[in-house]
Amino acid sequence: MEPKPNNRPNIAIAAGAAACCALITLFVAVLPAEFGVDPLGTGRALGLLGLADANPSPFEKYDQAHKTDRTEFILEPFQSVEYKYYLQEGSAMVFSWTANGDLLFDMHADPEGILDEEGVESYEQTTGSGSAGIYHASFTGIHGWYWENQSFTEITVRLESAGFYERSIVLRDGGSFERDIEPIF
Amino acid sequence: MFGSKPRALALMLMLIAPPALLAHTIAGEDANYVQTIDGPAIAPFMYLGAKHMVTGFDHLLYLFAVIFLLNRPLQVLQFVSLFALGHSITLLAGVLFNLQVNPYLIDAVIGFSIVYKAFENMDGFASLTRWRPNAKLAVFVFGLFHGLGLATKLQAFDLSQNGLVVNILSFNVGVEIGQLFALSALLLTLALWKTSGNNAPHRFTVNSLLMVGGFLLSFYQLSAYYLGSPY
Repeated sequence: MEPKPNNRPNIAIAAGAAACCALITLFVAVLPAEFGVDPLGTGRALGLLGLADANPSPFEKYDQAHKTDRTEFILEPFQSVEYKYYLQEGSAMVFSWTANGDLLFDMHADPEGILDEEGVESYEQTTGSGSAGIYHASFTGIHGWYWENQSFTEITVRLESAGFYERSIVLRDGGSFERDIEPIF
Repeated sequence: MFGSKPRALALMLMLIAPPALLAHTIAGEDANYVQTIDGPAIAPFMYLGAKHMVTGFDHLLYLFAVIFLLNRPLQVLQFVSLFALGHSITLLAGVLFNLQVNPYLIDAVIGFSIVYKAFENMDGFASLTRWRPNAKLAVFVFGLFHGLGLATKLQAFDLSQNGLVVNILSFNVGVEIGQLFALSALLLTLALWKTSGNNAPHRFTVNSLLMVGGFLLSFYQLSAYYLGSPY
């Protein structure tokens, strides 16, 4: 593009106008929608403030108090046990477990009502003597652990957890039983 | 081997960095995955590099501004190579020497690079100032800033030292591949536009719009710097 003599003011005006356009957009829309800052009141008027609030919050509110659970299983050589919690989609729990020997384990979840392999999600599948974490259920179902003793010595596994679950289920020796977990209050 | 100089530079740059450096641009599941990688992972990092380039408005707008006035393929090659050289240097150096720069300020400079290039395209320097900056030097220097921006995206993760060099190189190769994709689309669009009659009057408008985009990206990043991360 060849510079023309009459171009000089145009360029300055265009640059200034560009900066102004950007500033106006920033104050009218971007600051309210992205940062929740509303200096001109346009965010409230246009309903943009809700967008800023929609960002993931570090706080999730639940309607009920959480529950805590503490359990222990003794695994004879080559015995296995499965222990799971009923969790609604989106519910969370905090857990830690430890064993006095290495176990083959699989932290996984089954969608409710399905007892075959279909829909099973595995999250941690390895051998070890303990694990800890925070778990968010991505679907409603039973969520927990399979532990298997592959050694020739007896191993005890101890689990502690706190979370927004109602009951748990133990699957062992081909059978299963459910247990309600007492409320903390 | 790399003694006090990078550390001194890093210290200087840390003075302008606020305490919380949060990840942005590489987000969600990609971010979760990157954190778990331990060891060389060529394909995932290449993919992330390409994705970052193709989906990054700041890089695309700058690239568009750079090739806007170029008509000969050789010129395009020269300018794009200088840009690639610039951002490769700082991407590699930034991550390997762990240079701590503030991602928002860097991204604000990247936004400003679009404004600068659009101003240059409008012949702003020749018309309004005595300053005659070298266009090739400018594209190289802004390439350095774009590379630092890329580096901050990777540094926001707790990257494993295991396979780090391979992974950064893969990310860099991915960035270049993404750039080639973007470039071919942009060149095609420009070629169609340039051959469709007399468009000279619109060039001014297009560069003014590029300026708006550049200013807005800059202001957005400066807001994030002063107000804290929106994420």
